[in-house]
Amino acid sequence: MSSNDHRDSTTVTAADSTATSPSRSGNQAERSSSVDARPERRNSPRTNERQLPSSLLTPPAPAPPPHLDDYRAIIGQADVDALRFLARDLKGKTIKMVNSTAVGGGVAEMLNRIVPLLSELEVPTQWDVITGGNDFFEITKAFHNALHGTKYDLTKAAQQIFLSYNEQNRQRMQFEQDLVVIHDPQPLGLIRSREKSPANWVWRCHIDLSNPDAHVWEFLRPFVEQFDAAIFSSQSFARQLPIPQYLFYPCIDPLSEKNKELPDSVVQKICDEFGIDRSRPIVTQVSRFDRLKDPVGVVHAYKLAKKYVDCQLVLAGGGASDDPEGAVVLQEVKQAADNDPDIIILDLPPWCALEINAIQRASTLVIQKSIKEGFGLTVTEALWKGKPTIAGAVGGIPNQIIHKLTGVLVHSVEGCAFQIRYLLTHPEFAQRIGSSGHEHVKENFLITTNVKRWLLLFRILEEARARKKH
Amino acid sequence: MADGNQMTLRKPQKPFYFNTSENLLRIGRQRAATLAELLEALRSCPEDSIFQHTFRTLQEHHFIRQGFSNDFAHWSVSACNEPVLAEQLASVDVREFTAIEGLRNRMVQIVDQFLKENPRAASHSGHEPFYFCASDIVVLPTSFVADSLPAFLDGLKKVSIHSIHHHFIEARLRLHLMSNDFSQWLEEELGLTHTADLIERIDIYTNTMEGVRQQIARSVEQVLN
Repeated sequence: MSSNDHRDSTTVTAADSTATSPSRSGNQAERSSSVDARPERRNSPRTNERQLPSSLLTPPAPAPPPHLDDYRAIIGQADVDALRFLARDLKGKTIKMVNSTAVGGGVAEMLNRIVPLLSELEVPTQWDVITGGNDFFEITKAFHNALHGTKYDLTKAAQQIFLSYNEQNRQRMQFEQDLVVIHDPQPLGLIRSREKSPANWVWRCHIDLSNPDAHVWEFLRPFVEQFDAAIFSSQSFARQLPIPQYLFYPCIDPLSEKNKELPDSVVQKICDEFGIDRSRPIVTQVSRFDRLKDPVGVVHAYKLAKKYVDCQLVLAGGGASDDPEGAVVLQEVKQAADNDPDIIILDLPPWCALEINAIQRASTLVIQKSIKEGFGLTVTEALWKGKPTIAGAVGGIPNQIIHKLTGVLVHSVEGCAFQIRYLLTHPEFAQRIGSSGHEHVKENFLITTNVKRWLLLFRILEEARARKKH
Repeated sequence: MADGNQMTLRKPQKPFYFNTSENLLRIGRQRAATLAELLEALRSCPEDSIFQHTFRTLQEHHFIRQGFSNDFAHWSVSACNEPVLAEQLASVDVREFTAIEGLRNRMVQIVDQFLKENPRAASHSGHEPFYFCASDIVVLPTSFVADSLPAFLDGLKKVSIHSIHHHFIEARLRLHLMSNDFSQWLEEELGLTHTADLIERIDIYTNTMEGVRQQIARSVEQVLN
């Protein structure tokens, strides 16, 4: 029997959607390649799949960014005041942020929120995006993968293309601000403007550099060493460098579509649309259909737990429609689900933030059973919603989940299954870790904390420069 | 004698300025993969690393009532699976120290003793390394200045948890005294010795920082009532 014959496990997909969307990837190259690589399966018949509601077939218009005072109800007046006090001594000083994409991906999403907030605090912040041809973005995509540990044959030609586009951008851009922040490796060559610039220069690396391809890292390292400081998302991502290295955790915006409070009626409506029964326990994993997120392992864990406790499993994610491997993984998940009517598989387009929010809020437990992970913002999202969360002890997840205090960490399918059983049958404990998880995010992983870190860094660098002058 | 039985409160000569401190985490050069390496690094790391992994981490986890004490204890159990060592490290109360060097020596002594008694534990690799970090700290004013006990209570209730941590826990490193800014001011400016003592004795390891705030507020309210 082929997987398409599995009629009972519910799969909701954007199969017929013709809308293009920015991918979740972090750079132009990824966008280009993902469009080129769009698999044929979109047009193939999928008789066991339900269409998404028509309202989800095209992306909604983006909401205007919130103002600082909008966060007061969440973080409190005292913390908003602290931001204003921090910014006071920086008044009039300016920041330039440079990355490689204006839309799509976590960096652009974050800059879309951070830049207006810094400017509102009277630290005018300009955001510039470098340009480049497909050849440049293909190389930087390869660099990205190589820095994550994939072997790469770094040719002279590739180096030349990287340097040449960086030089073109450098000639085009002005660096008259007091702080210049270069995001990720693509614009690293802009550091050559440092000598003629009055700014402090900071490299914000969003990539896990713990095990990079040696050739690519040795090519990029001399650029990095010219900065005044580097920023990483986890202690374990950093390298031995002669410049100060700071830790900025990635963050979520509590007022975004994906994280804002929702009326119960909205949660109910979305659950109804997807056939999720809120009268029974709901166990959810939100992630791309990617082997590194181990969705098949989640299905096995659910099945082991289901022998003891009643629950539904929701696997909500994307990636199956714009990534050939994602489509394969989705099929593997459906095979593992094996007609179980309580397994609901949702292949959602990237703009379904509100739907993800509602599903997370409706969930009794959230799982993120990753085998390899960057920081794991889906964990942050679940914790923010006060959900007891079970997650693999990989990447940045242990920074978020302190075992048995803000969630539970697991290392195997069996461990995951046990924790599902335990948390579903010990609601007081589940509630306690969920509540601590929420506080942990409030303290460390909200966008307002991120703004605070930028202001702190700016002040610290300015003070260091003033000390040097004297 | 309870301070509430005293006659009319005197006017403080100096107001209480509520400040707060914010910190930026700096990733250090040292890391430990085993308990032996942890011991070595504990002996040689900068003082601000000891401060980060004890005083500061307490603030970062201020919402946990029980079970989190310091990063060294947490790593000993979560990465090295050594609950005995973890309990011993967790029992160290940072408020017993008015200087980082004393705190460092205590941590070194505990790990050293444990490894002498359990030499095979020294070279076992943890699930993940311990990364030594440090903090760059910026002290900030708040909009609250108290020139009376009611104003002090009002400020206490409205400042951030970071401000409570700054005045109540980190203060002893500034003061080099077994006290805190709140108790110091209440005693020196208002003569509230008993209240100052009650506040100093609040257990920070079985309370969230919000719970600490509420206990301080209750002690002050008893005087006002």
